[in-house]
Amino acid sequence: MQLLIQQLVLGLLIGGIYVAVAIGFSLVWGILNIVNLAHGGLVVIGAYLTWILFSRWRIDPFLSLPLVAVALFGLGYALQRVLINRVIRAPLFFTLLLTFGVNLVVINVLLVLFKSDFRSVTPGYSGSGLSLAGVQVPYIRLAGLAVAMALAGGVALLLNRTRTGAAIQAVGADRDAAQLVGIDLRHIYALTFAVGAACAGVAGGLISTAQAITPTAGEPYTLQAFVVVILGGLGRVSATIVGGILFGVVETLAQTMVPGLGAGWANAIAFAILVVVLAVRPQGLMGRVA
Amino acid sequence: MSDIQPGAAFSTRPDAGGRRLRRVLLIVFAIAAAAVLVAPLSTSDQADSLGLPVLVDRSQIRILTTIGMFVVMASAWNLVGGLTGYGAFGNVAFFGLGAYTCAVLVDPHKFHLPMLLAIALAPAVPVLFAVLVGLPLLRLRGHYFAIATLGTAVAVGEVVKNIEYLGGATGLFPPIVRHGDLLFLYLMVAAALLAIATGYLVLRSRFGYGLIAIRENEEAAAVLGVNTTAYKVAAFALAAALTGLAGGVYAVWNSFINQEIGFSLDFNIQIILMAVIGGAGTLFGPVIGAIALELLIQGLAGQGTIAVYAQIGLGLLLAITVVFVPRGVVDFFGGSSRLSLSHLRRSLRETSV
Amino acid sequence: MRGRLTLTGLMAMAALTVSACGGAGGSGGGAAGEDLVIGVPMSITGSQSKEGGLAKQGYDLWLDWINAQGGVNVKGTRHKVVLKYEDDQSKPDISAQLTTKLITEEKAQLLLGPYGSATTASDAVIAEKNGIPMVEANGAAQSIFNNGYKYTFGVLSPANKYLQGVVDMAATLSPKPTTIAMLAADDNFSLEVAKAVTEYAPTKGFTIVYNDKYPNSSTNLSGLVANAKAKNPDIVLNSGHLAEAIAINKAAKDLRLDAKIFGYSVGPSTPDFVNALGKDAQYVYDGSQWTPQVKYKPSFYLSVADYVAAYKKKYSTAEEPDYHVAESTAGCLALQKAIENAGSLKPDKVRDALAALDVMTFFGQIKFDSRGINTFKPMVVEQIQTDGKHHTVFPADVADAKPQYPTPGWGSR
Repeated sequence: MQLLIQQLVLGLLIGGIYVAVAIGFSLVWGILNIVNLAHGGLVVIGAYLTWILFSRWRIDPFLSLPLVAVALFGLGYALQRVLINRVIRAPLFFTLLLTFGVNLVVINVLLVLFKSDFRSVTPGYSGSGLSLAGVQVPYIRLAGLAVAMALAGGVALLLNRTRTGAAIQAVGADRDAAQLVGIDLRHIYALTFAVGAACAGVAGGLISTAQAITPTAGEPYTLQAFVVVILGGLGRVSATIVGGILFGVVETLAQTMVPGLGAGWANAIAFAILVVVLAVRPQGLMGRVA
Repeated sequence: MSDIQPGAAFSTRPDAGGRRLRRVLLIVFAIAAAAVLVAPLSTSDQADSLGLPVLVDRSQIRILTTIGMFVVMASAWNLVGGLTGYGAFGNVAFFGLGAYTCAVLVDPHKFHLPMLLAIALAPAVPVLFAVLVGLPLLRLRGHYFAIATLGTAVAVGEVVKNIEYLGGATGLFPPIVRHGDLLFLYLMVAAALLAIATGYLVLRSRFGYGLIAIRENEEAAAVLGVNTTAYKVAAFALAAALTGLAGGVYAVWNSFINQEIGFSLDFNIQIILMAVIGGAGTLFGPVIGAIALELLIQGLAGQGTIAVYAQIGLGLLLAITVVFVPRGVVDFFGGSSRLSLSHLRRSLRETSV
Repeated sequence: MRGRLTLTGLMAMAALTVSACGGAGGSGGGAAGEDLVIGVPMSITGSQSKEGGLAKQGYDLWLDWINAQGGVNVKGTRHKVVLKYEDDQSKPDISAQLTTKLITEEKAQLLLGPYGSATTASDAVIAEKNGIPMVEANGAAQSIFNNGYKYTFGVLSPANKYLQGVVDMAATLSPKPTTIAMLAADDNFSLEVAKAVTEYAPTKGFTIVYNDKYPNSSTNLSGLVANAKAKNPDIVLNSGHLAEAIAINKAAKDLRLDAKIFGYSVGPSTPDFVNALGKDAQYVYDGSQWTPQVKYKPSFYLSVADYVAAYKKKYSTAEEPDYHVAESTAGCLALQKAIENAGSLKPDKVRDALAALDVMTFFGQIKFDSRGINTFKPMVVEQIQTDGKHHTVFPADVADAKPQYPTPGWGSR
């Protein structure tokens, strides 16, 4: 029983990371109809920025998150404005290929800059945590979950309580109509992508405290963001939260608590879930019927 | 919505520009055919013994064989991704399943079938799999279909890796065929010709028009009497058969297959890039894309640290291709548009905001 | 296509000429013969570029030394050695293609192996097809050698010995630990390591209380560590890779898994492990092919101390060479000795000499069993101790320190 609770807690905590990673991915997909294959690359840029701030100037990884978010916001805005806006009306495959190309550039530039050495952000409180009736809750992971929730809340507020958010939602719903009422499409597109990139940066910062990073460390997270968005459904922040937490918990339980399976099957299970959800309920567990 | 489709000006009858394209293609194929035919006369083994100059050595035969393999897979992908307009993102699963099927069939401790028979049977499992998976998944559209197929490919690879009978994480080692370089080249070229011929026949058939109708407007196609489900699954299965065949030949040619190679996400993306860069939806686009991209990949292989910069270059090239030549090089050089500034401007106007 | 490939060749030649000129120019006795070309597919870029870079260092270290002697001695004639590298990007299919290219276009007479088990398996097939001997030093999975191939030889102690040393050492400690949790990545090499432990440890009086595998390069291993903790093991063993070793060590601290021994197959020997974990890296053991402290008495080439010194000088570093470097140099030594014993550069003669080889080097004994595996060299166990340094702690006859045992609990460090 204690073990089950421990595993649930771990699943919840890793789910927080998945939420952070998927928030931006879901936003860009939902509003811009772009499956951003460079999302993992942006996550890793965020992780490296956090690492640089920590190792050069000893800035606490959680304090540097806003800086990282701003930097990625700028990068994301430029990327969309200069490049992706040009093919936004082309078939989905072109944006897939374009973002794949961007990802390739990102990873290899990072390889040139940082080589494939493993980097890790390890502040003094790393490894300490709460102990509740034998169940361990590491502070860093807990803080990661809190940041992910704050991030999700922030994006929800932005979308639902601000004029810019209203414009973003309008563009997502009907871009031609949005243009007719005077919304600057290029700016809103770039803004949306920038917010997505900023979220990716924050997720990267969290990841740098949880694991060792290399330039290629982001790729699994692109795939996981896929799964989370599919699982939860597209278009709502709450759906991403549910999808991320659910995926974290299911993944952890499947690889540790199912007799006869074992963790070797973790990836197979994750993608089997993905395919089944797609086949049975393509709009996701929380999604609206399109 | 003014979405342009890859190769939107899709036609099986070439217009004025198309004639030039055909000339280019003819030259390309003449060179390829010459290389293939000359190969036996001048491989290093024979040439060394006869004192002839070595024109095509085993290394280049291997590259030609690899190109043939990707011609098969890119052409097969084109049936689903280009013609039917369903962005399949997991065709490498068919390659892996075909390769593993063949490897199990030739294994002396398992079925121990003759090699050619095993290759011929290799597509069976991928086709079966395509039908089973295609029925539920081909109901999905757009990104959802793409991701479902990608997820399927990854999941199958992971399952294969966990099955001891299939060599687990180690993989399988089909018996080495000595002095088989030319044999495998011819097998792969035969598979490539089969893939191109299949594409040609499909394009000219009622089946092919049905697929294009599905791509342009699936509901309308259904109303007009196209059995969309049957058509889509048939196209998917056909792609699986061809891709599985390539996998079968690969297994005995390479004498080593594991999950990392059989379900390589690199291969997966390369197949798609080849078709799209060459020109999705056209007969020869995937062929040209496969040749060009594979030559590029092989040219970059072994260049040391330059490869990192080359990868950056590849990424930029990809971005540039997508932004400026969205209809693929076939269209670029000979289709309805010409290499001109006005073409670039037009294509940007169509796709950008 | 022809033109492109020729250009490629020219560039490679130019690069090699430059590096050859930069090398030492001394010469030993004997007439100078033709250059000996050895082909090396290597992970210069890609997912294993880090380890590939270390392996290349080991090869280059020997290259400088042998050419300073004037080259390899074949019946009194000295052949300068040229190592032709091709970057396989850590991908098995590219590696196979480049190995073919090395043999046919670059006219490599012999091969040194790539980095990693999958690329080595791919290249072994090519070596076999072409009848070119390949000495590999960086792929320890035994599965490669179970196919009856005759041209591939591995100087490494095979995977099944990787953690055997840690188990043997644990049996000598007091209070004696009794229970083992085994966590393995699901690649062929790591699984062989794990399988050997689960078969071997019970014969030494240990109980395997937990045994599971996880997907290769997985970073979310907390759940597994929690499962292991529930079994309260004395010893936690991991066969996997650097990233996973770091993840398991972090998770063990997060979850307060207080084992007496933490032993990893790969990871602790690299500087990255210590950089990533800081003080938490202390007390960790790892099974190693070689350490700079071993006390072998080589019959040729450098002594262990001279080898370490030569490494530091060539790469102007204060860091000691890790075992990836040493094993790669050892691969070169096996090839060199086999050529000298054969008195020929002919591939078949060198192959036969490799099969009959039995030499003592700074790396330990090199002798191949009928499959081509060096089963005659023991693994050593090293520990990162409280002075922050790596120490060889087992077997006792090559050790430079005693194990710091037991590992204190996370709460009392």
